[in-house]
Amino acid sequence: MSVAIEFKNINKSFDEKKVINNFNLEIDKGDFITIIGSSGSGKTTILKMINALIKPDNGQVIVNGEDVSKIDVVDLRRNIGYAIQGNVLFPHLSVKDNIAYVPKLLNKNNSEKSEEAVKKWMKIVNLEEELLERMPYELSGGQSQRVGIARSLAASPDILLMDEPFGAVDAITRLKLQEEIKRIHNETKITIVFITHDINEALILGDKVLIINEGQIEQYGPPLEIKNNPSTDYVKRIIGNV
Amino acid sequence: MLIGDVFSLMSEQKDFFINLTLEHLQISLIAIVFAIIVGLILGIIVSEYQRNKWILSIINFVYTIPSIALFGFLIPFTGIGDISAIIALIVYALLPMVRGTHSGIVNIDKNIIEAAKGMGSTKFQILYKIKLPLALPHIMSSIRTMVVMTIALTGIAAFIGAGGLGVAIYRGITTNNIVMTLAGSILIAALAIIVDFLLSQIEKLTKYDEPHRRFLHKYNLINKKTVIGVLLIIICILAANQFLTTSEENTINIATKPMTEQYIIGAMLEELIESESDLNVDLTTGVGGGTSNIQPGMLKGDFDLYPEYTGTGWMEVLKEDGIYNESLFNDLQSKYNDEYDFSWVGMYGFDDTYGIAVTKEVADKYNLSTYSDLASVSNELKFGAEYDFYEREDGYDALCEEYGFNFKSTTDLDIGLKYNAIKENKIDVMNVFTTDGQLNDPNIVVLKDDKEFYPSYLCANVVRNEVLEEHPELKNILLKLEGAISAEDMSRMNYEVEIEKKEPKDVAHEFLVLKGLV
Repeated sequence: MSVAIEFKNINKSFDEKKVINNFNLEIDKGDFITIIGSSGSGKTTILKMINALIKPDNGQVIVNGEDVSKIDVVDLRRNIGYAIQGNVLFPHLSVKDNIAYVPKLLNKNNSEKSEEAVKKWMKIVNLEEELLERMPYELSGGQSQRVGIARSLAASPDILLMDEPFGAVDAITRLKLQEEIKRIHNETKITIVFITHDINEALILGDKVLIINEGQIEQYGPPLEIKNNPSTDYVKRIIGNV
Repeated sequence: MLIGDVFSLMSEQKDFFINLTLEHLQISLIAIVFAIIVGLILGIIVSEYQRNKWILSIINFVYTIPSIALFGFLIPFTGIGDISAIIALIVYALLPMVRGTHSGIVNIDKNIIEAAKGMGSTKFQILYKIKLPLALPHIMSSIRTMVVMTIALTGIAAFIGAGGLGVAIYRGITTNNIVMTLAGSILIAALAIIVDFLLSQIEKLTKYDEPHRRFLHKYNLINKKTVIGVLLIIICILAANQFLTTSEENTINIATKPMTEQYIIGAMLEELIESESDLNVDLTTGVGGGTSNIQPGMLKGDFDLYPEYTGTGWMEVLKEDGIYNESLFNDLQSKYNDEYDFSWVGMYGFDDTYGIAVTKEVADKYNLSTYSDLASVSNELKFGAEYDFYEREDGYDALCEEYGFNFKSTTDLDIGLKYNAIKENKIDVMNVFTTDGQLNDPNIVVLKDDKEFYPSYLCANVVRNEVLEEHPELKNILLKLEGAISAEDMSRMNYEVEIEKKEPKDVAHEFLVLKGLV
């Protein structure tokens, strides 16, 4: 199995404070990785290095075999889906235009192709077509998240980055969304990197779970392995109440 | 009752007011369109690059310059008239535009911007697909504020010879015609209210959390094509208008100062020149600031001639020392010729010099009849004059020195407001002109200049020599009025306009008929 994303000897400080400390990781193509850690552990920083929103002080981030510091970041980002926490749909665009945002950036003059992509992804994330012309303020929390997922997938990226995407929805909606993202992963086989602060979510969704603390890896492995053989006290504490 | 007068004046002079309203809209609109374009660009530059914050400071600073001062600054560079007015209006309109655009952009949720960035938008795509649409409601409300402000401020543009409804206001003030002033003010207010209402409707459409927006969306009404289209149409209309109103070659541009007698003389000149020759006259009446703004306009060639007073030319334009009397006229004429290539043509025959007047009540109380009488009680009295009286060499300071005046207080007043101020006892003593129409009032007493302090101010036309050469017939026409108007004639005509509320044009016509000139 080939490697989709690779971190090599990454260090990063913000204002003198070390956030990431000699970080090394390989993520295989098609894997669903969940990342868990307390706030300030550096999980969002790691995620944003993949689409070059944050640059490491030293070390290399390699995506699909290419060093991200050496390629056009705009092209890179268009091929990586990005869904972040909270409701960050573009409030001035309809559901349709939100989902079509990246496809439109890619095929500027081919609105038919964009429209097709919108309809396809609406169906995949279980949104009724009558919502197409709705504005974001007219959607429920769950609908918003679905639109957010559809938007991040609409250009058919082979990597999807998700930063606590279900943080703001109620428990029932969250369960549904978890089932759906799992199903989407099974159907598309894209690489997903998913940040959560909920250990249950991490264990249910991930093919592999990455537990980080203070910018360093505590443990990286399949959910069962984590549960059965927690490698550090920190990991034990985190899975303690599962 | 007053409102009734205003409406009957409006209907009597319908064409005059319609014309002014259209001019007003045109001047405002040009300024607004440019302010929107320039303001948006500057606002974007300031918000996208923090190091450009200084632009905001400069715009803030310029905004604090009083409008009349800014108009005055611009005249030496861009001349008298619409262009200076439009530039000044744009400068003022920039602050709300730049600020609105800036705060609209910087207040957008950072997460939304990061989402757009993370999805692979370029900096420019983030700007025009995300930031500008999200800032639009904010920008639109700034535009609304700016437009209302500009429409109101355009009223002041008349001060520097631009058109618009300010002309009516200014004329009303300088000829003591409150109905005219009110009519102009009401029309400006009405314009501002109507335009504000229309813009409030458009503003609603820009809000993305209201149902109106979906309508816009559905029919795709906000897109590049419509915006560019609307802009092009506006620019075409303005360009066509500019093109059509370009002045013809056979036009004499006459300026007058904001004084009733100059409105009358201006009207006389217009009628006489147009009836005696093939020349057209473009009359810019009541240029604010008088000589100090007309002289630069003459030098730039915006104006061809204007009625001026010999003493003013000597002291204020040539800046010669000493008191002017008519034995210096040949010097005056040759200096004007050498320095400016202008000539003095056609002495009208009246001397509009300064005098000092008090109310009858004050005169009786203190038993005043001469300036020297006044000097002994001046510390109990309040003095008022138009602002340039304090600046002139033969003005306030020299007068006080000569007679030993020491007034309790001094006030700056517009020429047209002085008589009201003295009647309301806001001032006790004022300077007057010897041709003031309101001097006919028995309640106002002119004191005697017992030391013969004041210089001579004979009225004549200052004309550019170039124009006299191009149109040789002009000189003879101007000479027809030589010696034709006495101080009494002028004072009576001023009275007819200021007190009897006749139109300057009608008074001028009656006089020309009386003298057998038309």
